[in-house]
Amino acid sequence: MSRDEYTDEFGFVAPLKTTSNQRRIPDEGFSTGPEIGQRLPDFTLSDQRGRSIDLHADRADAKAAVVFFRSAVW
Amino acid sequence: MTQLGELQDALSKFRAAGIKLYAVSYDAPEALAAFAAARGIEFPLLSDPDSAVIRAFGILNTLIQPEDIPFYGIPYPGTYLVDEAGIIRDKFFPRHLANRSSAETVIDSALGAILMGDDEPRARGGDDAVRVTAFLHGGGGVLKSGPVRRLVVRFELREGLHIYGEPVPEGMVATSITVQGPDGLHVEAPVLPPTQPLVLAGLGVTLQVWSGTVDLVVPVWADSRLVCVTRPVDVPSATLDVTVRYQACDDTTCLIPRTERLHVTVPVEAHDVPNIDLLAKNGQKVTSMDSMTHLDTLVRRFLPS
Repeated sequence: MSRDEYTDEFGFVAPLKTTSNQRRIPDEGFSTGPEIGQRLPDFTLSDQRGRSIDLHADRADAKAAVVFFRSAVW
Repeated sequence: MTQLGELQDALSKFRAAGIKLYAVSYDAPEALAAFAAARGIEFPLLSDPDSAVIRAFGILNTLIQPEDIPFYGIPYPGTYLVDEAGIIRDKFFPRHLANRSSAETVIDSALGAILMGDDEPRARGGDDAVRVTAFLHGGGGVLKSGPVRRLVVRFELREGLHIYGEPVPEGMVATSITVQGPDGLHVEAPVLPPTQPLVLAGLGVTLQVWSGTVDLVVPVWADSRLVCVTRPVDVPSATLDVTVRYQACDDTTCLIPRTERLHVTVPVEAHDVPNIDLLAKNGQKVTSMDSMTHLDTLVRRFLPS
């Protein structure tokens, strides 16, 4: 496969050049937030139905997986 | 969006494991509502439109500059697994920002075991003493762009037998796995469970062994040579050639060392793209929501009014 300006070092091709900020890959480790063993910080946000959700109150003593994702739009 | 669809597909597995699922992004609630409707998402998609929570967590993608509208504000993508007390028990941030952990990786971490799915492609080897099964775990074993799958080699050892981890004395065989696939398949270093020490008192030697059921894991993912955002998939399946070498012993005798070659053929699925002209119309799977309207709103959020 050609290593053109649209193909990154891992072999991903996208309609943006690899020099675009949003396609840059951290050279070294990047921040992954609170550490294992810490309490997940509290937050309250609206969901897709407009309901206000307090994460820790809503999970109500259940285990939870909290996924941070890029966007549902693009 | 591939990731969110897979999380929805795995929702019953999350529920069975007692895990509530939430996903956070900088999208507006209206965009999340449109996406949830288009893709049948039933778990909460939480809106953090000013990226305040993303910043508070310290995971704002700072490679993107504030003037890069509308990309500025996204997080480094990752997942936290918390226990009943809200303590983070595991977290998943793949090194490449295009990669995502499979839903099953998170569920398995909570359960402390790998649950092989009925739909996951597999190949079997071994014999009555040592059964060997290789399967591609996560997302039904389908290779896509984004998700990291796990090629699992499961040993089921007859009672009394064990196999060896590194290091082994000369003349003995440590268990090893190699995975080869088509161009575009990235194979990461194996992830091995802890071994148990086995002391051979008479020889003054301590060996590292596994017994019972042992899962050795090799993370794999597809790059654009297999699944590309700008074109359809060329070949709808891929074969993973898995070579396993091991020697099983009990306390007194060893079986003959074996080398097994297992072939796991897995589906390859087209790229999952938003309904945006720049990306769509090249044979990919297109989400039915009107992405351009929401992209327009997203851009305007950042512009001076």
